[in-house]
Amino acid sequence: MQFSYEVRDTYAEVKGVGRLNMVAAPKLREVVAEVVAGGSSRVVVNLAETDFMDSSGLGALIGCLKAARQAGGDLRISGVQPQVKMVLELTNMDRVLTAYSSAEEAFGND
Amino acid sequence: MTEVIARRGYRGPSDDDAIEAIHTELDALWDDASFVPEMDRMTFTTAVIESAANIVQHAQPVGEKPVEIDVDITVQPTRLVARVSAHNAREPFAEDMQADLPDEEAESGRGLALIEMLVTTVTFERQDGTNTWILTRET
Repeated sequence: MQFSYEVRDTYAEVKGVGRLNMVAAPKLREVVAEVVAGGSSRVVVNLAETDFMDSSGLGALIGCLKAARQAGGDLRISGVQPQVKMVLELTNMDRVLTAYSSAEEAFGND
Repeated sequence: MTEVIARRGYRGPSDDDAIEAIHTELDALWDDASFVPEMDRMTFTTAVIESAANIVQHAQPVGEKPVEIDVDITVQPTRLVARVSAHNAREPFAEDMQADLPDEEAESGRGLALIEMLVTTVTFERQDGTNTWILTRET
């Protein structure tokens, strides 16, 4: 899985392309830690090109959410695809990880 | 005898590469059996990858030989079956068999709960140093 990020005016967008599985999960944690350490604690993880997520990937997102909140910000997700949506719903984590249709919208009203 | 319409498998060291290779085999299996509905592919793929990841993350070798992962997935007329095995492995600890969802803050421990929600049956077998999880989903 490939990650990239871009720091925008009011948030940072982290984009993941591929499968967010146990191999990719530690990389996501590293990327978000770097973004938060760089001063952007409002983070959107854009999952529009993430076609698969397992419980390790979900665990990494929860860890990243905690890291962003500890730094005074928040973490939101966007562009959730059907398999990822299924995993979020079955584990009841859709209530914790708020999904937005696009990265722009995620912090649009704050 | 049960008719097997499509079959894919993988055997190799229990490591990160195995997870990616098994996922690639699953994608190839769905190409071979294109009649399997999208919902069944999605749920079964997730369950098989969770089971394989559980082995890669938790299986401990029983002797000097490293743990090997072995996955055999078949598409049958009305069901999907996966045998996900860890060879040369110790018997799993009870806490690795925990199937309840943890609290919202937890960063791990959802894999087995997820597997049980995604398949029709999960059976565990242990024989001669091999742990096997058999997952079936009626389609």
